[in-house]
Amino acid sequence: MDRPRRYAKSHEWARLEEDGTVTIGISAYAVEALTDLVFMQLPDVGASVTAGESFGEIESVKAVSDLYAPISGEVVAANAELPGQLETLGSDPYGAGWIIRIKPEDPGQLEGLLDQAAYDALTGSQPH
Amino acid sequence: MAADEALSRFAEQTGQVLMRLYGWQPNTVSLGSFQGLAAAQGVSQLEGWPLVRRPSGGGAIVHGTDLTYGLAVPSEHPWSQRTEDLYAAVHSALVAELSERGLEARLAASDPTRAEEFFCFSRRSFGDVVVQLPDAGAPARDDKVLGSAQRRLAGVVLQHGSLLLRKHPLMSGAASHPGLAELAGVAESDTDMMVRGWLERLAASLGGDLRECAGPSWKSHDVDVVAKARRYASQDWLSRR
Repeated sequence: MDRPRRYAKSHEWARLEEDGTVTIGISAYAVEALTDLVFMQLPDVGASVTAGESFGEIESVKAVSDLYAPISGEVVAANAELPGQLETLGSDPYGAGWIIRIKPEDPGQLEGLLDQAAYDALTGSQPH
Repeated sequence: MAADEALSRFAEQTGQVLMRLYGWQPNTVSLGSFQGLAAAQGVSQLEGWPLVRRPSGGGAIVHGTDLTYGLAVPSEHPWSQRTEDLYAAVHSALVAELSERGLEARLAASDPTRAEEFFCFSRRSFGDVVVQLPDAGAPARDDKVLGSAQRRLAGVVLQHGSLLLRKHPLMSGAASHPGLAELAGVAESDTDMMVRGWLERLAASLGGDLRECAGPSWKSHDVDVVAKARRYASQDWLSRR
């Protein structure tokens, strides 16, 4: 059974793993809105990410979008294969399309994010 | 770039749609966010030219004979919801203006075979504004006059664009592209009326009026812009790819 995800209003998702790390990616809604993806920049392992601040970039054919950290922490893993296989973001955004994994400063920050129902309500109200 | 970033933050804070228009002195080449610096350094015609990097994507642009714009739209605005909507708003307004002046202007179809071209005006992305000259004796060709690219931030969308007013006199070959003056067969000064008509149509599509603020769009003592400019002027920023 998939562990539950929480979401930022900027469409990143975060999932608390059994080992206490938090996996971060972008939602299927965001991937579809970005359309044709061409480049991606990931942070280095060991880098610090801060809630609400940019930790990377993703470029589609006509737009560069910042990726925002849903919570703060230290990057312990980055999906190095993803920039060369950007289609994975579309085919499996919550599995193989994970972007980074962090050691959170405060797992309690996850409670400040949207749960699935709230995120569905948010995306259901936006043009798509 | 710093002034555009400050414009974006001000738009986000005030909820306004803001646009700044500017030219370049000296002539400068701007690279797209993900373009490699080495590629620019390999173009002999650009040797010795100042290079800057945009926060938005796309190809390299030779500035000096173009009108560059930065358009900041708050995230709540309908134009910012989908990438293509803001392009459509800005680019369609220009197509309408040029068409009324007798030019065969249209929104281009995407051409993936040109996606890796170094220069922006050699690429064809969906929605680029192109002008086709009637020439019965030659294969049809279209020339791109306006290209744009977005930087999508959390609370605001910044769209950059370059409107090529005339061909750059220092460029040749693949780096040379005709501008509005050549395509319309008019002096560059006459393109001012086209630009005004474009902007008035754009403002009207927003349901508002064009309010002009002449002069620099930021003040030299604006600490925020000065601090941001250091980042964009740094070798780290230019060399990030």
